[in-house]
Amino acid sequence: MIPLNPTTLPDNDNIPGNHYAYCVRLDGQLFMQTGRMIAYYPAPHSQGIRFEPLTAASLGGMVATRFSAPLYTRDWVVAAGAGHLILGDRGYDINSYDLDDGNLTLRAANLLAFDSTLELKQSIVPGFLTLIGTGKFLASSSGPVIFAEPPIRVDPEALVGWADCPSPSHHYDAGWMGGFLAGAMGMMGVNSGEERQFDFTGAGTVLIQSSESTVADPHLVQQLEGQLAGLGLSGLQRMQQAVAQQLAQQQQR
Amino acid sequence: MQGFRLNGSRVLEIDLMGDAVRAATGSMIAYTGDVTFKNAGMGGGDGLMAGLKRRAAGESVALMHCTGQGTVWFAKDAMEVLIVELNGDTLKVESEQLLALSDKLKTDVAFAGVRGASSGQGLFTTTVTGYGTVALLSAGGPPIALEVSPQYPLVVDPDAFVASQGQLNQSFVTDVSWRNLIGESSGEAFSLRFDGSGVVYIQPEER
Repeated sequence: MIPLNPTTLPDNDNIPGNHYAYCVRLDGQLFMQTGRMIAYYPAPHSQGIRFEPLTAASLGGMVATRFSAPLYTRDWVVAAGAGHLILGDRGYDINSYDLDDGNLTLRAANLLAFDSTLELKQSIVPGFLTLIGTGKFLASSSGPVIFAEPPIRVDPEALVGWADCPSPSHHYDAGWMGGFLAGAMGMMGVNSGEERQFDFTGAGTVLIQSSESTVADPHLVQQLEGQLAGLGLSGLQRMQQAVAQQLAQQQQR
Repeated sequence: MQGFRLNGSRVLEIDLMGDAVRAATGSMIAYTGDVTFKNAGMGGGDGLMAGLKRRAAGESVALMHCTGQGTVWFAKDAMEVLIVELNGDTLKVESEQLLALSDKLKTDVAFAGVRGASSGQGLFTTTVTGYGTVALLSAGGPPIALEVSPQYPLVVDPDAFVASQGQLNQSFVTDVSWRNLIGESSGEAFSLRFDGSGVVYIQPEER
């Protein structure tokens, strides 16, 4: 195995023969999710590379105009400087994508890094982030990504993201839905595990990963917590009941 | 003459001709011929002193002696295997990432520094010295070998570090900038910086 160094490392590409690691040639600023960087070479005769939290004063208004996802600010930093950054994500495949005056929505846990020329927004679909503009970004997936065109229905766990406007909605199996309407859900015990899908229609592209196993999504709790603020007193009481019910069920198992 | 070779990228195959290798306990998946497996003891086969140091350091290494005539196959958690030759130099390796080594190689525990004591990673490492072959493990994908030279120092996440070889000076970076990069749940607050000349092996997954 021949060791790599900054002269032989690829500029913005996967490490040769390794889908699970990616080398970014940094020169400027890059938004990065924390905990995804495994090594870096600072460029010689440079200031090195600094990793600033989004709250850093030195970043000024740049973050405010580029990053409008308050739920996720703690999970992101800005890498600034020059050098080679090597990223890895728990053995997930890593790929880079180019966005050309477009939009793309991704599962938050799968987005690793994006150029500061792009704009990030929290998607109205919980747990997803939307990138808008022109630039490069890095995303991970469990196994290679499959690109599909709507109309298509996708298993929620296998969905990585979608581009353009395929209007995502939930789709429930008609038989299951019938049972639900009859109030018999949960008593029948006839779940196939495939009664709920995400439904995409319209013009665009859907990104699907080849495995249903997902990273434990640390953002889900944040996501739910964020929405609690919008509930009134009666809503909060309902939530409390629902949580207590779920807890009791889990403890029974 | 020991034959360490790969069978695919995740299985190590070793031919034994009356000689011995040490391997991670429980990593044997199959063997042919007449081979015996014996726990290498508290010191990982390097005597009581190394064993006591390991106790004190909390660097656990569970090795077994494999001796006899035949072929043995080793694997662990479907991790990728990397074979490294040692010619009298020292390899520092994270003990969890050690799969097997020639029995004539000497192992010991090195104290890597006092900073960043909150983390178990990288504070103590296992050193392997001598002439022989070592098989390392890489989680999450193939290992990555990175060259360190005076012109190109390298900074590594301790959780992705597998091993290092050569004339390297290892130091801890605990600056605020690095801390920002670490996920809040992991609690890691320092990185490893390597200066000098040598090779550092890392894995694509963080422990």
